[in-house]
Amino acid sequence: MVKVHVNGVEVDVPPGSYIIDAVEEAGFKVPLLCYLQGVFSEATCRICVVKLNGRVVPACRYPVQEGASIVTHDEELISLRRLNLELLLAIHTISCWNCSVKGSCTLVSLAKEMLIEGIPVCSECPLYGELCLLSYRIPCLGPLTIAGCNAECTKLGAPCTGCRGFILSKGVWREALKHYKMRNVDVESLLSAIRVFWNNLPEDLSKLIKEVSPSNGQQPEV
Amino acid sequence: MIGDAVHRLIYGDQGEIVIKVPLASCTIAAGALELYRMLGKTVEKLNLNVKIRRAGCMGMCFLDPWIEIAERGRPPAIYGNVRLENLEEIITSYLDGDLSGAYAIRFRVGDRDYGAPPLDSIPNWRNQVRFVSRNCGLVDPESIEDYIMTGGYRGLMNALRMGREEVIDIVKKSGLRGRGGAGFPTWLKWRIAYEEKASVKFVVCNGDEGDPGAFMNRLLAESDPHRVVEGLVIAGYAVGASKGFIFVRAEKPLMADRLEKAVEQAREHGFLGENILGTSFSFDVEVCRSAGAFVCGEETALIAALEGRARPRQRPPYPATHGLWGNPTVVNNVETLAHVATIFQVGVEEFTRYGTEKSKGTKMFCVTGAVRETGVYEVPIGTTIRKLVYEIAGGPREGRVVKAVQVGGPSGGCIPADLFNLELDYESLQAHGAIMGSGGLVVIDDSSCMVSVAKFFTDFTLAESCGKCAPCRIGMKIMNDILSRIASGDGVESDIGVLRELGAAISRTSLCALGGTAPNPVLSTLRYFEDEYREHIVNKRCPAKSCPKLVTYVIDEDLCRGCGICIKSCPTSAIDGAPGKVYTIDRTRCIKCGACLAVCPFGAVRKV
Repeated sequence: MVKVHVNGVEVDVPPGSYIIDAVEEAGFKVPLLCYLQGVFSEATCRICVVKLNGRVVPACRYPVQEGASIVTHDEELISLRRLNLELLLAIHTISCWNCSVKGSCTLVSLAKEMLIEGIPVCSECPLYGELCLLSYRIPCLGPLTIAGCNAECTKLGAPCTGCRGFILSKGVWREALKHYKMRNVDVESLLSAIRVFWNNLPEDLSKLIKEVSPSNGQQPEV
Repeated sequence: MIGDAVHRLIYGDQGEIVIKVPLASCTIAAGALELYRMLGKTVEKLNLNVKIRRAGCMGMCFLDPWIEIAERGRPPAIYGNVRLENLEEIITSYLDGDLSGAYAIRFRVGDRDYGAPPLDSIPNWRNQVRFVSRNCGLVDPESIEDYIMTGGYRGLMNALRMGREEVIDIVKKSGLRGRGGAGFPTWLKWRIAYEEKASVKFVVCNGDEGDPGAFMNRLLAESDPHRVVEGLVIAGYAVGASKGFIFVRAEKPLMADRLEKAVEQAREHGFLGENILGTSFSFDVEVCRSAGAFVCGEETALIAALEGRARPRQRPPYPATHGLWGNPTVVNNVETLAHVATIFQVGVEEFTRYGTEKSKGTKMFCVTGAVRETGVYEVPIGTTIRKLVYEIAGGPREGRVVKAVQVGGPSGGCIPADLFNLELDYESLQAHGAIMGSGGLVVIDDSSCMVSVAKFFTDFTLAESCGKCAPCRIGMKIMNDILSRIASGDGVESDIGVLRELGAAISRTSLCALGGTAPNPVLSTLRYFEDEYREHIVNKRCPAKSCPKLVTYVIDEDLCRGCGICIKSCPTSAIDGAPGKVYTIDRTRCIKCGACLAVCPFGAVRKV
């Protein structure tokens, strides 16, 4: 058996184990994305990074050594993981509406766990079997709001008001407005809903809203 | 003291005149092949007893194509930048005893002044220590006899007389470190593979050399291929391998051809195959032509490329224990192996005479970019950048000032001119944000913009990234986007912080050394030239006047004489005016190609 320290806790693991095994043995958790035990372990996502004697290494693919001291959480590691997840999200089209698993994936749950402001409430809404309020032409702000509240209010038929703050990403805005347009949501009532928490609407967003406004010629006042 | 063998190589047999023409990729590109063909006709016309010999490249790119003429009783003369029409004149004047047209003479013969300086009085040559490149430009690369004549394969004979551990000990005593980039001690790699209990072991020579601005491996393998083969056999003997591979980029066909020929000749002479030189050691070598990828500088990717597809994997296990097809594998660079062969030929003491405390020996550097005399120069490790740039490579071009050097290619970093007293060795370069790399050294003068330099290298790593791990694949793309934004004047203040943070994260978490070092050009230029970045972002101005979006072309009213040459050169007809009057450039139509600036005879076109 190989003796290793994980965050100061001493554990014994069989030789040839990876760091992730020792971490789990010691009762700690590191976020995992591309790793699936026994199936895939190529260490490509770099989310599970930990510190081995001060060096940053992926937990899922790095063999343990006798006497190794492993740190799973510190300020630098958390920011490195967050940054790598943000990079993955940067090239990921976040349109959980059109995705077959409707937001019930590791990527979304990790993003919510790490408080990354790129996933809208809408991604978690379908998980609870709710009907989309937008289809009743109710101006729900779910597509523009940062996820993580587990969308309790939509369960009761109340539209999302954006209390967790709005997403500051043009890609997400564009996607959201597509849905407002598709469902023919009234622009005026949408804007007034937005203004409750977001009085100074960003210029880009107001431009985008103008683009999708219905063809009655009425210019929304921003 | 010139050895007997070298004397014979230079002068040939009695009564002969020997003319050497370098035939390597670089000199052929400069026209050496035409020269080689033309020589035959010229000699016939002059009715001379001339032996035309093929040679490798000396590494003096600024002289290409050169020829060397030697007749007994006279010093051999090297003529640079030879053109077809000058050939006859050069030969006849040499035979008349007038050597004033030559670049240099190889050595003196007698006391007579021939009008050309001896090579060892020229700073370019005098400051070099040609240890591993000793044969380059001297021997015929396609002849094993030439190599043996200069002491070749004696290293292998010496090694085979020793035990395996003794061979590794000698490499340890030499302190040789990998010349491919990371500077890992060669003996340690060998020892780990040697101690591994396995029935099959491999040694691999990495000749992929993908850095822009580095070509010392190609030059070495094209000019002296047997030295590489000999080094590989010694490495194979030391670790107990049965087979060696030479991994060559298919874009370097001549290098692969020469190595293949060398392997064939070595096999014929009994230096490869069953029971080499009567010992129980059997070893064979295969030359593999790869599709070529920068990521193959990473050992695990190179091994994966030999197996099928070039992609690195997480280490450990290291190749020395778990490499090609799961067997212990030693991967060494071309230059490292050539050093091994030379060490065993001439002895460790010759090698350890040069270098610093921590890194012994010499290293070949490719000096390119904005210097007078570009080329491949071999200098002791620990030579200062100043000496290499100003004394050996002749300093900056007319009217220019050297601003920085980029050491180590896309994985390396920029060292600014005020740090030129820095010694070129593994540790001090690393401490200053660069790496030794394979030894590419691009000199940057004040006409280049550091943001564009950084962007050039991120463009390269972006294209060469294998796309396996997230930080390198996506992070480099985002860094590249930010750099393009800065270069086109759309940068914001926060960009500098984002670049720093992202760069640090990419180098901390990437899977392999490509990603780990890819942000270096950006981070090092940010470290030393942050002002230039700020100038782009805050004042929307490019100090070097090289970013097209941030410069405008204007015609100076006082200098313009109204000749109209610029009008003819302008591809978009953006210049208005009439002959005899002052011309003006219409900014809306100007595409900033710089054609007018290049043609104006009065220097009236300026970039602002």
